[in-house]
Amino acid sequence: MSNQEVLGTRTGKLVNVFSRGRIKIPALHFLVSNKKAKWALLILVPILLLTVLAPVLPMQKPLETNVTSSLLSPSLEHPFGTDKLGRDILSRTLSGIQISMMVGFSVAAIALVFGIVLGTISGFYGKTVDRVIMGVVDIFLAFPSLLLAIGLVSIMGAGFVPVIIAISLADVPRFIRLQRSLVLSLRTRTYIDAARTVQASQLWLMRKHIIPNTIAALLVAASISAANAILVEASLSFLGLGIMPPEPSLGNIIKEGQSYLQTAWWISTLPGVVILMIAISLHFMSDGIREALDPRSRK
Amino acid sequence: MLGYTLKRIAQLLVTMLGVVTLVFFALRLIPGDAASALAGENVSASAMERMRDEMGLNEPLWFQFFDYMRGIVTLDFGNTIATNLPVADMILKALPITLIISVITIILTVLISIPLGTLAAYMAHKGKKALDNAITWCAMVVDLMPTFWTALLLLLLLSLGLGLFPASGKVTLDDPELLLKRIAIPIIVMSLSQIATLARITRTAVLEVLNEDYVRTARSLGMSEIVVVFRHALKNAALPIVTVVGLSFGNLLNGTVIVEFIFTLPGIGTLLVNGINSRDYTLVQTLILFYAFLFVAINFLTDLVYKKIDPRVQF
Repeated sequence: MSNQEVLGTRTGKLVNVFSRGRIKIPALHFLVSNKKAKWALLILVPILLLTVLAPVLPMQKPLETNVTSSLLSPSLEHPFGTDKLGRDILSRTLSGIQISMMVGFSVAAIALVFGIVLGTISGFYGKTVDRVIMGVVDIFLAFPSLLLAIGLVSIMGAGFVPVIIAISLADVPRFIRLQRSLVLSLRTRTYIDAARTVQASQLWLMRKHIIPNTIAALLVAASISAANAILVEASLSFLGLGIMPPEPSLGNIIKEGQSYLQTAWWISTLPGVVILMIAISLHFMSDGIREALDPRSRK
Repeated sequence: MLGYTLKRIAQLLVTMLGVVTLVFFALRLIPGDAASALAGENVSASAMERMRDEMGLNEPLWFQFFDYMRGIVTLDFGNTIATNLPVADMILKALPITLIISVITIILTVLISIPLGTLAAYMAHKGKKALDNAITWCAMVVDLMPTFWTALLLLLLLSLGLGLFPASGKVTLDDPELLLKRIAIPIIVMSLSQIATLARITRTAVLEVLNEDYVRTARSLGMSEIVVVFRHALKNAALPIVTVVGLSFGNLLNGTVIVEFIFTLPGIGTLLVNGINSRDYTLVQTLILFYAFLFVAINFLTDLVYKKIDPRVQF
């Protein structure tokens, strides 16, 4: 599909908005007009609000223990129940979501920035630069993603920042590949040639003509990458290699609950529901963006 | 075909050389070195120095690198730091469990997901949205469930609740019955997410083919629906399906680490997590390399199959 075709549709507005480098009303319009994007927001916004408001809500602090309320099942006072030490699982879950979200968005942002810069350079310049960058990308892609993250965390040690770096290093190569393939397909378009004939500099071409036309596809990938990063962070923390207790993260809350699976099912199960809901809504978001961009995929 | 295979093998070797180099230098970034990890804290400086000499850590870096490469080529990965057993032996001992789980999972996945995806595509094609929607939705949700959480849910339901499978018990290859019971839930857990992924891909691929002209032609020639769907549609949809089967091996390997850890199965995933917790870098680096080799080799085979089943593909 050529660019001219896209320009007439509502989708075209979205592309235009990005291509001007500012997000204006049409982008917001898209978020509430697309059914899937709307569902995504309906799930994400309340969760985010709860997470942000958690410190001022009248409930137990995430690390506060209370021996008299050990292993209570879900009730009005403790909607997600309590654990062995009497800590409130909902409060810990909300605190864990905060970490999940920060990991998800940091990884997506890092992957976007490095993916766009290195992918554009690789696709646009080709030759030796391309070969070197793609060689390194291939090396990183030779590891299954979770295993690469596990290996990196074992070197850097557990913790918030190492987890973000480890997951990003597994994700950035995929973004470089994606951006490179998009750039390669755009590079030979007539409008790029036209810009060249009026002496547009390479930097101008990349900044004004190439990147704006790839950013939407990268955003689709980025929201999946955020969901994926949240799942990987939870897995690492579950394995005891990510966020370390007592600092709560969705993965380590579930891990702590494993010993009480029979007596206190709520510790492990409920935080998992939250991870699932966040992952589903981020995928909806990505589907929404894709549908807006590619009218053919609308059902 | 031969030329292509050789070219791909050459590419592979370059990539693997890069992987080995990356792992070697990444380990040099760890604060302290293997000697201090092995010795612990209560060792005198002179003893430590002697140990470094013995381990070759005082040699120049390039010498260490070549020594390391020589070890990999001759499959001598050294001894583990924690138990001082040969790493290769430990991996070989743990490998069967991981392989058994993986192979059974792959077989189950292919047997279930391809018919399921084809059914969904057929229903969508026929305008019967309800069943298609049900399959597509279930597949999406199952696909996004974190592996370790699904594992705990099934453990709670099938093992603790219904008492179908034991949650603990020593796993050995000598006791096939207990082995099967112990790996049943891990296999279900891994199959679920794999089936979800592959069923979605199959659905998309088959649905696309069902709208092709030659499918309509086949119908107009009076062929039965079964022949149309299986011989004409599914066969032509095979390419994306094969690609995804190959790619999902990465997820499969990721998954084995998690289920082995949860169900305390003595496979290479458990070996890896234990290795990290005991700071056994010799073991960890060899295992990570091993996983990478496995993953790359499988992707390579997928490429060859891809080329084999579609003569149109040019490289």
